[in-house]
Amino acid sequence: MEDKARTLRSRWWLSLIIALSIVPPMVIGSFWIQVLTEILILGMFAISFNLIFGLMGQISFGQGAYYALGAYTTALMLTKTSMAFPLCMVAPIVVSGICALIFGFFIVRLTGIYFAILSLAFAQLVHSVIFQWYDFTGGDNGIQGIPSPILLKNPFWNYYFTLVIVSAALIVMWFITKSSFGYTMRAIRDNSNRTGFVGVNVRKHMLINFAIAGMFAGLGGSLWAVFNHSVSPDLANWTHSGVPIFMTIIGGPSYFLGPLVGSIIYTLLFVFVTPFTEYWPLIIGTLIIFIVLFFSGGIVGTLELKIRPE
Amino acid sequence: MTASQIIGQILSGISRGMILFLISSGLTLIFSVMNILNFAHASFWLLGAYLTWTFWQILYSPNFGLWISIPLASLTMAAIGWIIEVWLVRRVYERPLTEQLLLTYGLALVIGDVIKLTWGVADRIVPKPKVVSGLMSIFGAPLPTYNLMVIILGVLVALGLWWLFYKTMFGRKVRASVFSREMISALGVPIHRIYAGVFVLSVFIAALAGGMQAPLSSITYGMDSTVIVECFCVMVIGGFGSLLGALVGSLTVGLIYAFAIMFVPRMALFLIFIVTIIILIVRPWGLFGTPMRV
Repeated sequence: MEDKARTLRSRWWLSLIIALSIVPPMVIGSFWIQVLTEILILGMFAISFNLIFGLMGQISFGQGAYYALGAYTTALMLTKTSMAFPLCMVAPIVVSGICALIFGFFIVRLTGIYFAILSLAFAQLVHSVIFQWYDFTGGDNGIQGIPSPILLKNPFWNYYFTLVIVSAALIVMWFITKSSFGYTMRAIRDNSNRTGFVGVNVRKHMLINFAIAGMFAGLGGSLWAVFNHSVSPDLANWTHSGVPIFMTIIGGPSYFLGPLVGSIIYTLLFVFVTPFTEYWPLIIGTLIIFIVLFFSGGIVGTLELKIRPE
Repeated sequence: MTASQIIGQILSGISRGMILFLISSGLTLIFSVMNILNFAHASFWLLGAYLTWTFWQILYSPNFGLWISIPLASLTMAAIGWIIEVWLVRRVYERPLTEQLLLTYGLALVIGDVIKLTWGVADRIVPKPKVVSGLMSIFGAPLPTYNLMVIILGVLVALGLWWLFYKTMFGRKVRASVFSREMISALGVPIHRIYAGVFVLSVFIAALAGGMQAPLSSITYGMDSTVIVECFCVMVIGGFGSLLGALVGSLTVGLIYAFAIMFVPRMALFLIFIVTIIILIVRPWGLFGTPMRV
């Protein structure tokens, strides 16, 4: 009975989410449609980060690098070649995935603070390459005026395009977290020694998980390049790698959709606050300190504790 | 390339490394004693530099202003550091690594904007006092007298820290608390006061470095986000939690930078990251760290 009620409730929630993601663009202006698109892209980026953080228990300070690699791959392919658009959306996943695989090979050998620092160092490496390689990446100017199919120039259709891709990505990630692979990752998070003793290749699993997170970060970057029509090296900087971390912490790392909730809060706050003040870091910094000190389960975690104190 | 050029580059690398050492020695102290990686440490350094500029403006004495402003700014920063320790950092000592990282990360963002609010984004310049604005010749290589002062200060701080931690009661207590927090608490040593002391000392040294940095180059908004990453590289190369490692790491990074600027200016930061990555891969505990910590 309890189980049935829960399934029913989660179906209600799912229908609500689907309705909320499909209907509003038809009634709101193009500005808010763009805000929604941004929420989706960054939300997916944050959920991909949470594969490393929530599922594997490590903190990566370098997810911005894979995001930027995806964004630049799409941007460069769209501006410098005339390859088919779908190819320009798939290639970044491959590029980010391969880079995450190579960097990850070294990163997953470490844990804790060393994991964080090595991921940061690799990301800064990517950042400095993008920043200095003027002839290829445009250096600190980035790439502006990225062409995209005529339909996607319309924010309305671009939103649905993003919605379809992000939903597909979220479904894939959901199945990953619920698969035996996902439970192996949880076991590694809780006790990697014991997981190793039962015959699991801990490093290999961590590496695969890191590469998957990198691939989805790359996909996010690629969607961003199409949505924003421009990319800049700042996407790879460690200050940008903080964004998915913030979203995850705000939303709640122990829930699959927590980072998406974080993305909604973060992005809406950004939209409401920035017209009044340019001191966005001050506000988000204060919020982060506040959440760390008083709501360490994130918004979703705190709410659940309020509703169902167990 | 002549011998004097090489010596010149070495000296410039050392003086750059000394500033890095002053910042990363504090980072190392906080890490080894409280086990917290302080993302906001370079922000304290930059805040120290801006405060030095402000005091220097108020005093407005080209020859003596700087010598008074640096201690004033450092002491002010020490007070601010104490407030931050008591109100914020103290609350997360027992928390997981992520929350500690995020707290200091949030702090770095806040301090960055406080700087922007107070001083704006325009570059600030503190000219060198006349006494030390000249050039000296060391083995035929010209070295600005001021850089020599920075080097001497770095050496003095290194010696001072060694004396403090190995020759005084406070230092013994700090080292004991690293060894066993429970034991030292049980012996009646107020552990929170020790932690506050270490934090304040680290912020003081960072602000001192900021003050010394002010006349070296213009003070630029956003400098801290590059420097903190360089300091992490220093800690990785030297080994987390080792003061000697911080010194060697800083000098290594300073020298790599100085020579890279000469031959491949675009690759300077790139090379530092490469060295850091190699160290992390082959010897994650760094040159002077202990393998246990990994």
